[in-house]
Amino acid sequence: MSDSTTIDVPESSAATKGKAPLMGAPRHERGGFKKGIAIFDFVLRIGAIVCVLAAAASMGTSDETLPFFTQFFQFQASYDDLPTFQYFVVAMALVGGYLVFSLPFSVVTIIRPHAVGPRFLLLIMDTVALTFNTAAAAAAAAIVYLAHNGNPNTNWLAICNQFGDFCQKVSGAVVASFVAVLLFVVLVVLSGLVLRKH
Amino acid sequence: MKAGGVELGEAKNSAPRRGVNRGISILDFILRLLAFIGTLGSAIAMATTNETLPFFTRFIRFRAEYDDLPTFTFFVIANAIVSGYLILSLPLSIFNIIRSSAQKSRIILVIFDTAILALLTAGASAAAAIVYLAHKGNARVNWFAICQQFNSFCERTSASLIGSFAGIAVFILIMVLSAVALYRR
Repeated sequence: MSDSTTIDVPESSAATKGKAPLMGAPRHERGGFKKGIAIFDFVLRIGAIVCVLAAAASMGTSDETLPFFTQFFQFQASYDDLPTFQYFVVAMALVGGYLVFSLPFSVVTIIRPHAVGPRFLLLIMDTVALTFNTAAAAAAAAIVYLAHNGNPNTNWLAICNQFGDFCQKVSGAVVASFVAVLLFVVLVVLSGLVLRKH
Repeated sequence: MKAGGVELGEAKNSAPRRGVNRGISILDFILRLLAFIGTLGSAIAMATTNETLPFFTRFIRFRAEYDDLPTFTFFVIANAIVSGYLILSLPLSIFNIIRSSAQKSRIILVIFDTAILALLTAGASAAAAIVYLAHKGNARVNWFAICQQFNSFCERTSASLIGSFAGIAVFILIMVLSAVALYRR
């Protein structure tokens, strides 16, 4: 009778936590994989901060004054001539602030790879930040496209023909913003992948 | 005896857990249907804009269509792609209802949902920027507010933005639900 009540269980780290040992891969191996993804997530966040701040700075310092003037055109162009560009700068600043604020949460997921709460919070907040970032980038891109090409149907002239430097800086800002959007998509997908239960 | 006790506890928890998961999947399916209606409505509303003014002047065109502005063309195409994707993802969503513990299909849906959310937001906000410009114009760069001439064209394009932005909100809800369902598997 004593044979049926004693079970020979081999020692393993999972057994010390009170779980049955044969539940798939051991927890500490999967923890290593999750930790790797968490570190990658942290690095991507730093990259996204750089992109977003570069976009805001490039748009914010895009003043240009032409050395000549004509009767019909403004000889000065700045980002706050267009409300969409004002919105772009504000949105980039907010997204950059959010990213800096989310860095500690990312560090927490590195230290504790199996914690679900911070990961979940990061997933939801990253989705919202992705939407905000994409909205600002796309709206500014529409205006930049218009500035480069104009529109003969609505009599909107292409101001880039006059203001070359202004256009270059503004276009660069939009490109940096779209790179940040891509990084955000990767961040959200990573969080989703890591969240699943094994 | 201890292993037996653990097993019993799991069996007790898994039935209500599966019930909640099934509820989440059904809600996900309904939200996808709503988003499909919203984005399809937006695409159709924008694509059927066509206004011809009864008079004409020397300087302003007397006809306005959605493909006069490339941004609106992009908006129609983006909304069409998103509604097509939503229709195609409905079978996967039904599969998730039937098999509440499916993981791979949910992860595929999360990945594609993120990309489609980005596309939808890009289309909607680019069109919103142009609609804002059409309403207000811009004195500093000499861009004239065309809404002053084309009233019904402007109203139509502004209204079609609503369905698209509602679709964005629904998509964010869908993604949060998918994350909850993944976690609770």
